[in-house]
Amino acid sequence: MSGRIRGWLDERLALGDVIEALRHKTVPHHRYSIWYYFGGMTLFLFGIQVGTGALLLLYYRPSAAEAYESVQFIVTRVPFGWLVRSIHAWSANLMVASAVAHLFSVLFLHAYRRPRELTWLSGVLLLLLTLAFGFTGYLLPWNEVSFFATRVGTDIAAAVPLIGRGIVRFLRGGDDVTGATLTRLFGFHVAVLPAVASGLVALHLLLVQRHGMSVPPSVARRAAEDRGAIRAMPFIPHFLLRDLFAWTIVLAALAALSTFYPWELGTKADPFAPAPAGIRPEWYFLWAFETLKHVPPAIAGINGELIAVAVMAAGALAALLLPFLAGHTAQTRRVVVWAGGAALAFMAIMTGLALAAVAP
Amino acid sequence: MRSLWTPGAALIVLALWPARVSAQGADPAAAFTGDVHASAGLTCTACHAAQAPGSYTAPPRPAIAPLCATCHSDAAYMQRFDPQVRVDQFLQYQTSAHGRRMTAGETRVATCTDCHGAHGVTRVRDARSPVAPLNVTTTCARCHGDPARMEPLGRDAAPPADWAASVHAAALLERGDTSAPTCAACHGSHGATPPGITSVANVCAQCHLREAELFRASPKKDIFDAIGQAECLVCHNNHRIEPPADHWVGVQEGAVCAPCHDASGDSARTIGAMREALDRLAGGVAAADASLARAERAGMLVDEGRLALRAAREQQVQARVLVHTFAAEPFGAAAADGAAAARRALDAGEAASRELQVRRTGLGVTTLLIVAFLITLWVKIRRLPELPS
Repeated sequence: MSGRIRGWLDERLALGDVIEALRHKTVPHHRYSIWYYFGGMTLFLFGIQVGTGALLLLYYRPSAAEAYESVQFIVTRVPFGWLVRSIHAWSANLMVASAVAHLFSVLFLHAYRRPRELTWLSGVLLLLLTLAFGFTGYLLPWNEVSFFATRVGTDIAAAVPLIGRGIVRFLRGGDDVTGATLTRLFGFHVAVLPAVASGLVALHLLLVQRHGMSVPPSVARRAAEDRGAIRAMPFIPHFLLRDLFAWTIVLAALAALSTFYPWELGTKADPFAPAPAGIRPEWYFLWAFETLKHVPPAIAGINGELIAVAVMAAGALAALLLPFLAGHTAQTRRVVVWAGGAALAFMAIMTGLALAAVAP
Repeated sequence: MRSLWTPGAALIVLALWPARVSAQGADPAAAFTGDVHASAGLTCTACHAAQAPGSYTAPPRPAIAPLCATCHSDAAYMQRFDPQVRVDQFLQYQTSAHGRRMTAGETRVATCTDCHGAHGVTRVRDARSPVAPLNVTTTCARCHGDPARMEPLGRDAAPPADWAASVHAAALLERGDTSAPTCAACHGSHGATPPGITSVANVCAQCHLREAELFRASPKKDIFDAIGQAECLVCHNNHRIEPPADHWVGVQEGAVCAPCHDASGDSARTIGAMREALDRLAGGVAAADASLARAERAGMLVDEGRLALRAAREQQVQARVLVHTFAAEPFGAAAADGAAAARRALDAGEAASRELQVRRTGLGVTTLLIVAFLITLWVKIRRLPELPS
């Protein structure tokens, strides 16, 4: 019976070639192989986001009058609604962490090199999209903290000369954060971003399959010196089972986090109330939030916030164009490692300072 | 904490205020630059007329109020500065204990400048004014809290300190509620005089209207009138008005009913039943609050429970107010409604705790399944063919 179904499908989809290719696909096996799993882990969490997000959509209402109440209904009345919402929130955070780990591992292992420039480019864009998912999703419960954090977050764009106010108005759907902002960010969160992300994920996966996993230069050099080939493991079943092992651990962690630390709903946003103390963005934006706090109002007569935003934008652009900016020598690779390490240390320190400032 | 803080804060303000006032008076010309009269274009001669420039002296104390009244009782003149300004202060002052004594020749009593200052006078709504809500009790206390000043006049100097220990002082000084009653709210300002036994309930009723209405409709009203008791003050005191507590209701020692009621008779049974209902309601509210807090600490949402608890607290307030009917009903209905709401809140808290337990059990089972799956996977991975070296 299964043979007939397979034959029927194969005749129409030509899956035999794909299965045959996967059977022969191998993954390099060396001391840094563990970092390969973060890509799959991010993809797994993305899948969880899509699944739980679709379930939340069944009850969520994107308006200032109903958003908070609908989330409250989800977590109190809908069977397992609390679990779905908590998993969606926790999974979003783990996905950002996993994507960041994946990006920096690719950077430190120099996997962005030719011919994988487009893989890197699509990966960085996917990370930025992940952050955009986080930013747009943060406001959706319409609670006090998210309301004021979104007001602060969108206001940062106002520092951009000439078009800053226009960007802010575009993001907010008006001059201030209102129900129009909620509807707009909801649209981005469930339609625009998923559409773009799905395309980019497909492209990213296609490129990964096309080029295979990158072997770090140090591993390749040592293998060349030893005149030996680099060990490889079959993708099926060796790598896939290990991937599955990692995903199962993530699933267990998500279940435990959602049960023991269910995501808080907070109090409903009141646009006319003064901003409460301790307003802060999600942890992955804390470093930028803290940096802006330390920037002086003016540097050499120029708006300090504008300079900080410009430096961060330049950093993001440099990261995006890294394969085209970095040379192919060992020396330039060392510069990339040092620059990446410095950026990581800076973000970690700033995040630590921000957390210390809000710690009770 | 509150009871220690409030009198402390009041006494600190009390200690510091005279220094500020004397500093104001140290240089009249400098103080006058910030005076509301100076900003209205008046100069020294407005008050010191017929005195040689540079050698001004203070007017005699009995002449101060009439001097101020020359402008402040002139509606046509005062309207030039403020269309809604009052001009009855002097008339009221003449009816006050201060004004009557002053007229009788006792010059140590307060006149306009003692409360408002002489030079550097500010509007009452200005927070720097000695008679602004946060300062007025301290201003009164400068005289009324000073035994050396009060004893020769046959007055008690305890009221300011008593007020500082009151629930009203806590509202003003701790919560910053400037609508909380100070000396002037009950005694009047320009017409300041102690309210009499028959009028003190009207004073309290300005804010505590519901309690006053219930009391007046109760049998206690006629009894208190007949024996000459000052209604509210009998149970609540006058200046040292402490937060009312449920244990005040009762016939045991220390309860406010005890001086008139003993443990026998119908009234004792009614009092006992009220106390029991109040205690049951307070216990229910406390237990529900603890249960809901426990669930919230564990991350559960218990909004409906909180709503029920709020209803229970509202009924608790209602029941405490209805004590002033001195009757079993409608007090009993409010207390029963409150107890029922507290029960619903407690049920919500306990249901949330049970739900939490179910979740944790579910997680435990899920974790076991996941661990079993992980072990299976691990075994499978270990059994895979060795990678070629």
